[in-house]
Amino acid sequence: MSSHASTVDPKKAELWDTHHHSHDVISTRTLGYFLYLLSDGMLFATLFAAYGVLSYQHSYFGGPTPAEFVKPWYTFAQTIALFLSVLAYGFGMNALKHKNKSGLINGMLAAFVLGVVFLVLDIRDMSHLYSMGITLASSGGMSAFMVLTQVHATHIFFGLIWILVMIAQVMTKGFTEETVGRLLTLRMFWHLQAVIWVFVYIFVYLWGYIS
Amino acid sequence: MLVDLPGGWSPLLGRLAWSQIPYANPILAPLFVAVVIGAIAIIGLITYYGKWTYLWKEWLTTVDHKKLGVMYIIIGLVMLFRGFIDGLMIRTQQVWAVGPHSSGVFGSLHGYLTPFHFGQVYSAHGLIMILLAATPLLVGFMNIIVPIQVGARDMAYPYLNALGLWITAAAAALIMISLFVGDFAHNGWFEYAPIFEMQYSPGVGVDYWIWTLQLVALGTTLGGINILATIIKMRAPGMTWGKLPIFVWASLSANVIALTSFPALQIALALVAADRYLGAHFFTAGMGGNLMLYTNLFWIWGHPEVYFVILPAFGMMSEIFPTFSEKPLFGYITMVLASMAIAGVSWLVWLHHFFTMGAGPYVNSAFSVATMLVGIPTGVKVFNWAFTMYRGRLTFNAAMLWAIGALFLLLIGGLTGMMLAIPAINYMVHNSVFVVAHFHSMLLVIVYAIFGSVLYWFPKVFGFKLDEFWAKTMFWLFSAGTALVFVPMYMLGFMGMTRRLEYVFNTGWQPYLDVMELGIVVYTLSVLAFFILLYVSVRDHAKNRVGADAWGTSRSLEWLTHSPVPFYNFAVLPHINERDEVAWRRQHGIDNVRPEHYEDIHMPNNTGVAIIMGGLTFVLGFALTWRIWWLCLVSLLAIIGLMIIRSFRGDPGYIITGAELQRMEEEAYRREAQIADSHHSHPVSGGVVGNAMAYQRNDSSK
Amino acid sequence: MDLNWRNWLKKGWRAAALAPVLLLGGCAHNPFWIFDPKGVMAKTDLFYMIVDVLIMGAIVGLTALLVVWFMWRYQKGKNRGMYDPHWSHSNTIEVFVWGIPIIAVGFLSYFAVRGTFEINPYNPTVITHHMKPNGDPVEVDVIATDWQWLFVYPQYHMAVANELVLPVHTPVFFRLTSSAVTTTFFIPQLVGMIDVMPGMRTKNALLSDHAGEYQGIASDYAGAGTSWMTFKTKMVDKADFAQWVQKVQQAPGSMTYASFNRFAEPFINVNHHLVYFSSVEPGLFDHVMTEVMRGKTWPIPPMMTENMVDYMKKQAAEHRD
Ligand code: HEO
Ligand code: HEM
Ligand SMILES: [Cu+2]
Repeated sequence: MSSHASTVDPKKAELWDTHHHSHDVISTRTLGYFLYLLSDGMLFATLFAAYGVLSYQHSYFGGPTPAEFVKPWYTFAQTIALFLSVLAYGFGMNALKHKNKSGLINGMLAAFVLGVVFLVLDIRDMSHLYSMGITLASSGGMSAFMVLTQVHATHIFFGLIWILVMIAQVMTKGFTEETVGRLLTLRMFWHLQAVIWVFVYIFVYLWGYIS
Repeated sequence: MLVDLPGGWSPLLGRLAWSQIPYANPILAPLFVAVVIGAIAIIGLITYYGKWTYLWKEWLTTVDHKKLGVMYIIIGLVMLFRGFIDGLMIRTQQVWAVGPHSSGVFGSLHGYLTPFHFGQVYSAHGLIMILLAATPLLVGFMNIIVPIQVGARDMAYPYLNALGLWITAAAAALIMISLFVGDFAHNGWFEYAPIFEMQYSPGVGVDYWIWTLQLVALGTTLGGINILATIIKMRAPGMTWGKLPIFVWASLSANVIALTSFPALQIALALVAADRYLGAHFFTAGMGGNLMLYTNLFWIWGHPEVYFVILPAFGMMSEIFPTFSEKPLFGYITMVLASMAIAGVSWLVWLHHFFTMGAGPYVNSAFSVATMLVGIPTGVKVFNWAFTMYRGRLTFNAAMLWAIGALFLLLIGGLTGMMLAIPAINYMVHNSVFVVAHFHSMLLVIVYAIFGSVLYWFPKVFGFKLDEFWAKTMFWLFSAGTALVFVPMYMLGFMGMTRRLEYVFNTGWQPYLDVMELGIVVYTLSVLAFFILLYVSVRDHAKNRVGADAWGTSRSLEWLTHSPVPFYNFAVLPHINERDEVAWRRQHGIDNVRPEHYEDIHMPNNTGVAIIMGGLTFVLGFALTWRIWWLCLVSLLAIIGLMIIRSFRGDPGYIITGAELQRMEEEAYRREAQIADSHHSHPVSGGVVGNAMAYQRNDSSK
Repeated sequence: MDLNWRNWLKKGWRAAALAPVLLLGGCAHNPFWIFDPKGVMAKTDLFYMIVDVLIMGAIVGLTALLVVWFMWRYQKGKNRGMYDPHWSHSNTIEVFVWGIPIIAVGFLSYFAVRGTFEINPYNPTVITHHMKPNGDPVEVDVIATDWQWLFVYPQYHMAVANELVLPVHTPVFFRLTSSAVTTTFFIPQLVGMIDVMPGMRTKNALLSDHAGEYQGIASDYAGAGTSWMTFKTKMVDKADFAQWVQKVQQAPGSMTYASFNRFAEPFINVNHHLVYFSSVEPGLFDHVMTEVMRGKTWPIPPMMTENMVDYMKKQAAEHRD
């Protein structure tokens, strides 16, 4: 058998693309962004692995362990804030379907405010720890704890900037192919951060609290 | 919370101080003067010929995937040269500093490099060669070839493509500046815990290492996303997965590795940075840190990385062999499966880089077996290449010679790799120059494939062939150099010589070191031959012009469009009927059928944002290295601000009308006909290097 | 392990390896340390190397010949072989192409696993299976510093810096740790490598029947002094060993944690000096390990060995042992 057991008749074959098909901009963009999020997910997977290695008793080296300072309800409030933010974003995107600009902007604003609540809670928590002398220099275990949670917080921070930018773009430009594409990718980003937060909450906060 | 720094720090300049500039160093000071003179000469020449606007408009702001690819390749070749000089310096130190009675100069006890400097040389050599020579060269080829092979007008995200290039350029600039400002890491290209901690590496070397690698990782991730999306979304009509050219498959498998493995490196580096900048205890020996965690994280990336660089090289070989065997690639489907298998298994073997770290025998033997499994798909590839030649009609031109050389090196590297994969053998040769010889055999497979590809695809990009005589001369000199350097190195491995010795304690090794030094001389000659090759080819370019199908026996889609490739790649996108579309059209005599009419096409605009972003990431990396916090903040804010501004501006692109296209196409066909008529008897005008994409578009951008 | 064909293989291989050396000048001493093992561990390593090279060499060698043959036969214009422009698939060949490597990897895996257990540094069956019940093995605690080796003999309450002396016909068990950075312990003719890491303990073992002097190496880069961080290993008769122990036990120096603290400061051992310590604080090894785990380090001065000649002068002025 050869790969050239020609199935196509060269005399009748279509040689050039006559239909002038063009590539779908939004789906190409979404795919690329999905690939980026894949690598972002790997980033967190690696951090979780590092955290797993550094969360044994001896990793805290006699210093503070999460069990001593984690307040599950406080962090649960953060969880609720982030989830509501994602929900608000979802309502906004629903408004997009009806080409409802103000609905979208309201949803985005709500998502922004709730995200800020999340971040403020996080910063308060961290400065509280700092005031107790617990920093990432305390021990290997604390380094892993701090870096994992704060890398996630940094993602949230940049997500918030992005939400602001998108509110401004929708206000000035309306629903163009570009802005809609970005709204879709931003939604993917925001969802992924919420999903990752669930893992952070369960494996770092709750599990750390219990053990 | 910030760590105590050994040495001074000021808010304005961070750790930077005059004493960090090695103006008294007998090697670096003259080099610095030479670099400055060279830079002034280049700037002067460009100004003299008034080429600044051309450079800015046609190259620095371009989003054309071919020009970006060419620039990737130029960066790669420059860094390959730098890495070669480092190799030469390592060899010269080792041939000189043998035994307690050897002499020393420039403040060193033996040889001419102190341990501190020697460490920087091989660390920079390893990092540069793998990440700033081989990787950009391969990414450059993927950039140029993949979109054309899938029948697209550009990459999926042209702007992102430019961004990737300029971030890579920033990384190259950062490692180059470490020569003259401060020092580079001196603990090897992969560093180790805890030697990279502040207590053991108090200088800025490790910081340069962190940010250079971090930038490379960023650039490669962006490039990987782009190539994957291009392959998935931008294929021409009719190009099903089963008809994808083999190099595209190779790029696909490689970039799947890149996308999934680079994050591990980025995290490893970020954690090292947390240790060094914030006083964290990820990899310290004390305070609950875990130094083996670093080793694992690094090699979880590091091993897939070597397959990330070898797979595109395999793809290149799979393109060159069929063309010069005048036969389709043997076993296309198994070839694809093998690439995917290598990519998959590459994830399961990282521990073979530290069998000696004391893991239990169950762990060690599991990873040993997993490592050897890679030999199966690789073997399939070797056999398939062999059977591609079987019943072929082989032309041994220079490109083919490089590919065959790569094949033999792969056999040697594979044999020795399989030795290293067995713990009982590994314990004896780990960390010895035997390992160094193993991975040079393998990494030279890449270099061979790259030089083969330079020869093979050069006419496609620039419209004329490179000179055969000098290309062959270079090949033979290079191969002689390879044999003279790496055969003795294998032997020294069996003598127990360990790697990274800046002083060689055993005088019995001297004869072998001498032979290696001779090999370096031969290598240097081959570098000269390469320069002559470029000069001669450019001088005679008019004689060596080619048409669309430069080799007359090529098979895949890039050979359907003109050489040099117009900036829009295809005036009308081809419809794909067969796996080897061009060979199939040629076989049926329809390779000259032109499209009937031309329609308007949409192209992206040039942009200066990408290069400015590259500049800013360089500044950021530099500021982070020297801990100039205000500059970090300023450059970071500038980067974010620029991103926001660009996202507001967007890029509407511009339209080339069908009529315009038709005019440009007809001119191209006329030129091709002229080449065919002239039978190389008299030179044909038009299209020279630099003006590579000979078709000047009427600039409707901006 | 005692199969005859193993010995036969070894002899053949050694002869083959020696051939180029004899041609080069016929010195009596084989510089190819890996082919000239003098200890059980190193011997076992060599055996697996031979097996692997035979299997892989056969396949790779034949493949190379095949390629060369195709290159000769199908060269364009020579008309030696038939040209078939479309032939690109054959199920039979596919079977061989996948089958041969799979079978070979199967074979090699068997040897790989077996070898890993035989020379497992923590419990090398090649040594432990043949140990007499009262074989009184010698124990050595190895502490690597920047850049010296301290060998503690806990059974004799003594220590030696930068030289290892061991009795023949006696199993030796090592415990290893480092006070500074990671490096690797390696004596090419006696035993393969094992990493030496700060705050951690690894193990290794060796057994040799050949008296003689062998080179020991720090085989992982540990900083500026690594190239000089070598040590001689002397395998001696049991009687000589006892005598040597007596000699060391009469030496003036003694090693406590306090003196170790000074000993462990960065020191480039250019002149290969040896120091004997007639007494050692009990539990020094564990003490060093716990201190390191608590965060103790011996930092390197900035820009160390920027100028090596100056640095050596400075080091000499400090009069350190
Ligand atoms: C492009 C680069 C590249 C490639 C392709 C490979 C390929 C392989 N490598 Fe290598 N390596 C590479 C680059 C490196 N390796 C290293 C180190 C390294 C080590 C650790 C050594 C040590 O530090 O102790 C091992 C065990 C291997 C094993 C292998 C194996 C089994 C393969 C296999 O993929 C080879 C497969 C090929 C074969 C087998 C030949 C063809 C097959 C035929 C003909 C069929 C028959 C085959 C069988 C029967 C199996 N490598 C290092 C060290 C880094 C450092 O320490 O600085 C580098 C850079
Ligand atoms: C062109 C000829 C080359 C020569 C002569 C050369 C020479 C050397 C030498 C002498 C060493 C140090 C060996 C030792 O540690 O004792 C070395 C290390 C290394 N080389 Fe090369 N090399 C060459 C090309 C390459 C290429 C093309 C690559 C990669 C693509 C490469 C990658 C490396 C790496 C990764 C190291 C290890 C550095 C380390 O120990 O940290 N080399 N090379
Ligand atoms: Cu590997």
